[in-house]
Amino acid sequence: MSDLPRSLRRRLLLRSFLIQGSWNYRTLIGTGFAFVVIPALRHVYGNDEVELRRAVARHAELFNSHPYLATVAAGAVAKLESDGTAPELVGRFKTALRGSLGTVGDRLVWLSWRPAVAMLAIAVLLAGAPWWAGVCTFLIVYNGLHLWLRDWGVRTGLAAGLNVARAVRDMPLQQWGERARDAGALLAGVAVALAVLRPGLPLPGTLSLVGAAAVGIVLGHRIRAVVWAVLFAGWLAGFLLASATGTHS
Amino acid sequence: MIGLGSGTAALLLLLGGLVALDGTSTGQFMISRPLIAASLAGWIVGAPMQGAWIGLLLEALHLSVLPVGAARYPEAGPAAVAAGAVYASGPPAPSVLLTVVLFALGWEWVSGYSVRLLRNVNGRFLAVAESVTELEPARLVRLHLAGIVLDFTRGLLLVGAGIGIAALAVGIALDFWTAGERIPQLLIAGALVTALAGASGLFGGRRRRALFVLGVAAGLALGGLA
Repeated sequence: MSDLPRSLRRRLLLRSFLIQGSWNYRTLIGTGFAFVVIPALRHVYGNDEVELRRAVARHAELFNSHPYLATVAAGAVAKLESDGTAPELVGRFKTALRGSLGTVGDRLVWLSWRPAVAMLAIAVLLAGAPWWAGVCTFLIVYNGLHLWLRDWGVRTGLAAGLNVARAVRDMPLQQWGERARDAGALLAGVAVALAVLRPGLPLPGTLSLVGAAAVGIVLGHRIRAVVWAVLFAGWLAGFLLASATGTHS
Repeated sequence: MIGLGSGTAALLLLLGGLVALDGTSTGQFMISRPLIAASLAGWIVGAPMQGAWIGLLLEALHLSVLPVGAARYPEAGPAAVAAGAVYASGPPAPSVLLTVVLFALGWEWVSGYSVRLLRNVNGRFLAVAESVTELEPARLVRLHLAGIVLDFTRGLLLVGAGIGIAALAVGIALDFWTAGERIPQLLIAGALVTALAGASGLFGGRRRRALFVLGVAAGLALGGLA
C-alpha cells in the first residue's frame, strides 16, 4: 500500500469540522466519520471503485466520539487502511476506541475546559470590561485548546495507527482537565463575588444576593428549574398586581 | 414593539443559522454559547452591551447543561440570538430583561426538541447507508451535507419565530408592567448569582471549595477596587 500524502492530514483535519453534520440516533457520527476519511479511502483504493464503495459503507457504520478527538480515530483508520489492515480488525479497533475517545473528550472539554473558560469570560465582563473583551476572551482561549486537540489528534492517529490508545493515554489530558477545573472553581468564586457587588444595592439587597449565592451552592445543577420558577413567579406577580390595581401604561 | 430593518433581520437570521450549525453540526467554535450568540445579536442590532448582559445571564444558567453522549438537553444558541436581538432593540429595563429571559429559557427547550427531530430525520435519510455493503462516496457526501443544510434552516426558522414571539411578549410587558423596576432588578441579580454559585459545583471536590472561597475573596477585592 502507498504512503499517505502530507496533504491528507490537512484534508482530514478540515473535514473533521463537519463530522457531526448528519448526527442521528442510528449511527451517531458514523456517517460523518466516513465523510471525514473519504480522502484517505480514495487514496488507498484509487481506481478500484468497488473496494472504495465497500470501504465507505463499512466506515458509515455506528461510531461515536468526542468531536474534537474523532481526528485521532480518523488518522489511525487512514493509516490502517493504507497498511492494508483487514476490515474486521479495523472495525474492532474503531469499536474499542470510541468509548475512550468519548469519555476523555467529554471530561476534558465539556466538563472542565468549557465551563472554566465561560467563567473566565463572565468574570471579565462582570469586572467591567467591554462586551467584545468578554467575547474575544471566550473564543480565543477556548479555541486555543480546541484547535490544538483536533490537529494533535490527526497527527497522532496517522503516526500511531493501532497503538493510538497508548498515545492518548500518554498525553496528560486528564491532568489538564483537573487544572482547568481548579481554575474554574477559582473563577466561579470571582464571578459570584463580582455579581453580588455589581448591582451596587444597599446592604439588605446585597445580603439577599449573598443568600441567593448560598441557595445556588446548595442546589448545584438543579438551579435552572428553581431559578426559572422564581423568575416566572415574580413576573406573574407583576402582572397580577397590574390586574388587581386595574392599571397599565 | 421592536422594529428591525430588513438588512438587520437578514443578518440575525443568518446568525441564527450559523449558531444552530455551531451547536453540533459544524465547527463547534462556541459561537453558539449564549454569551457569544446574544452579544453578536446585540451587536447586529446596535446595542452589543445589552446583548452581552442577557447573554451573560443565559450563559450562567446554561453552564450546568452538558451535551454528554446522546442525552436530551435544551439548545441555547438560537434562543440567545432571538433574546439578544429583542432585548437590545428596546429599553434596557429590568422588567424587559426579565420577560426576555423567561422567553429564552422556554425557547431553549423548543430548540432542543427541534434538534431531536432533526436527528430523527437524519436517521431516516441515512437508513439507506446501513442497509448496503457498498456506498458511493458522492452519495454519502450528499446525505451528510443535507443534514447540515437542514440544521442551518432549522436555526433560521427558530430565530425568526423566536424574535416574533419575544417581541410580542416584550410589547405586552411594556404595556402592562406597573410593578416598578426594583423587583425585576433584584430577581435578575439574584438569578445570576444563584446560577453562578450553582455552576461552581461543576468543578467538584473539597479542594476546589477552598479555591472557590479564594476566588470569592479575590472577587471582593477586585470589586472593592473598582
